[in-house]
Amino acid sequence: MFKHLFKLIWNKRKQNFLFLSEILVSFLVIFAVFSFLTFYYQNYSKPLGFEYKKVWSINYDNGLLTKNNDSLQLFYDNLYKSLKAMPQIEEVTYTGANYPYSNSTMSTGVNHQGKKFDRVNNYVVGADYKKVWNVSVIEGRWFLPEDVVTKNKHIIINETLKKQMFGKETAIGKLIGNYDDKEKMKVVGVVQDIKANGDFWPAGNAMFSRLDTGYLKNTSDILIKVRDGADATFESELYKFMANTMRNAVEIRHMDEMRDAKNEVTIMPMVIFIIIASFLIINVALGLFGVLWYNINKRKGEIGLRRAIGASGSAVSYQLVMEAMILATMSLIVGSFFAIQFPLLNVFNIPASVYIIAMLLSVLFIYLLVFACSLYPGKQASGIHPAVALHEE
Amino acid sequence: MIQLQSIEKVYRTDTVETLAINGVNLSIAKGEFLSIMGPSGCGKSTLLNIIGLLDEPSKGNIKIDDQDLSRFSDQQLAKFRNQKLGFIFQSYHLINDLRVLDNVELPLLYRNSSAKERKMLATAALEKVGLSNRLKHFPTQLSGGQRQRVAIARAIVGNPQIILADEPTGNLDSAMGNEIMDILINLNKNEGTTIVMVTHDESMAHRTHRLVRLFDGSQVQ
Ligand SMILES: Nc1ncnc2c1ncn2[C@@H]1O[C@H](COP(=O)(O)OP(=O)(O)O)[C@@H](O)[C@H]1O
Ligand SMILES: [Mg+2]
Repeated sequence: MFKHLFKLIWNKRKQNFLFLSEILVSFLVIFAVFSFLTFYYQNYSKPLGFEYKKVWSINYDNGLLTKNNDSLQLFYDNLYKSLKAMPQIEEVTYTGANYPYSNSTMSTGVNHQGKKFDRVNNYVVGADYKKVWNVSVIEGRWFLPEDVVTKNKHIIINETLKKQMFGKETAIGKLIGNYDDKEKMKVVGVVQDIKANGDFWPAGNAMFSRLDTGYLKNTSDILIKVRDGADATFESELYKFMANTMRNAVEIRHMDEMRDAKNEVTIMPMVIFIIIASFLIINVALGLFGVLWYNINKRKGEIGLRRAIGASGSAVSYQLVMEAMILATMSLIVGSFFAIQFPLLNVFNIPASVYIIAMLLSVLFIYLLVFACSLYPGKQASGIHPAVALHEE
Repeated sequence: MIQLQSIEKVYRTDTVETLAINGVNLSIAKGEFLSIMGPSGCGKSTLLNIIGLLDEPSKGNIKIDDQDLSRFSDQQLAKFRNQKLGFIFQSYHLINDLRVLDNVELPLLYRNSSAKERKMLATAALEKVGLSNRLKHFPTQLSGGQRQRVAIARAIVGNPQIILADEPTGNLDSAMGNEIMDILINLNKNEGTTIVMVTHDESMAHRTHRLVRLFDGSQVQ
């Protein structure tokens, strides 16, 4: 019976072209939706790697500060002590501008044994950065004061970069080349990945280096971890204190709000995309339903004949549902051929598993859709009275 | 072979009631070739559909091969039709998207026969109707007479005991019609197939064993 139906469909491939292309387009759209969703879900299910609650950032304009390195060091040391002395503040650290959720990125490349690793997030951090974020060190150690004066610059890398560079081997004590492989840097620690771009994006490769005196004149961000009692009153006191100290503009932001904003940038377009795709799918479903319905009315004579020569009502409806499923399969084969190119060509540098899962989900979705759309027309067909059906033609 | 007892068939629509068959009693013997005649709309097709188990009588009883079919389920009726009955229609009812051979194989798809067996039986049936050189054609590439011969091959492929033919020559000229008639007569003679045929053509009817005339749903001869 299967071969028979396939023959029938094959001989009618021209009439079925619309049906086939509708399914193909829906498959590709659904594949895109599921690829995004799978990608986001995979990232979402990974640990965040740090604690953002009660962390505030203070951004300031450093334009009016002294340009002399030694006096600047002194100024920053004093500021650190003053902030740390405030009862509402638990931890304080200076940081480069690209701290988590900041919308600012700074990346570099590193080299190891002739292999170049690009797009490595380059986090320049103060000594207490780990305490502010509660980042976990999974191998080696966090920065110590003596890391500032060493022959080879000491760095800490994240888990992702460690796995790529060293696999299962230890990273500690290894020397790796900087972006042009001219200078060697020594790995002293590996930290858990931190999802700095929100819950839905991967941590990517990351490297941490110590914020040293030379970098101070570029510094314009302080991160603080506040205690429970830190309220709006404290925030305005802090604001006044900072504005006075810097004699310039200051902005205080809360990480939980910045995180929400960052996640929204991912969620909103996705929601819009899903809504558009849903409309498309509803249209396609109605289209499929209509085509099947129309076909059944056009094929009344055939249905009557099949009943006469031995098909029961349920055999007729089974046939029509099967035909739709075979058509879906034909489209899905073509669609999968396109879809499989994404993992094969490593498009967008997204893990192959994302595409494979999305493909499987899309195939399942299309089968369910076609099945649902053919069920009712099939049932109607089984109800067609054979004598009446044979009469009309 | 076939017993009809006080068969009545009423078609009801919202506004009208049509009494299509009115108290028909008919007994058809095994191996008989019976023809049914009557003016258009007198209930010939309705009667044939009732015999063919495609339609249920409103009243009365029908027995085929001594089996009471009134309590058969849809599935059982389908199986019964498949094994005992063959149908031939005025408008052939071939599936135009299937080749001749596939059309003829159709009834065998609804029983458990292998692809090889299906092909063999269908080829043999087409040989009987003189179409062994048209297996790969599509129905639209054939003449009316050839199409009806394909339909006959399809009706006989499953080796049924009874063939029901509703105006099988109605769309054909007399030469082609006679060819079809010859095939049916041979089938009846050589294989002993019971045939019930509706026709408009007196000369065709006279070539059969017995003629039944219907008028307004009742048997008049
Ligand atoms: N499905 C139906 N619904 C209502 N009336 C029908 C139906 N089929 C047939 N009839 C009526 O029953 C009568 C007999 O029809 P039919 O058996 O087709 O006549 P014949 O084949 O002798 O020309 C006609 O009056 C026809 O209009
Ligand atoms: Mg008729």
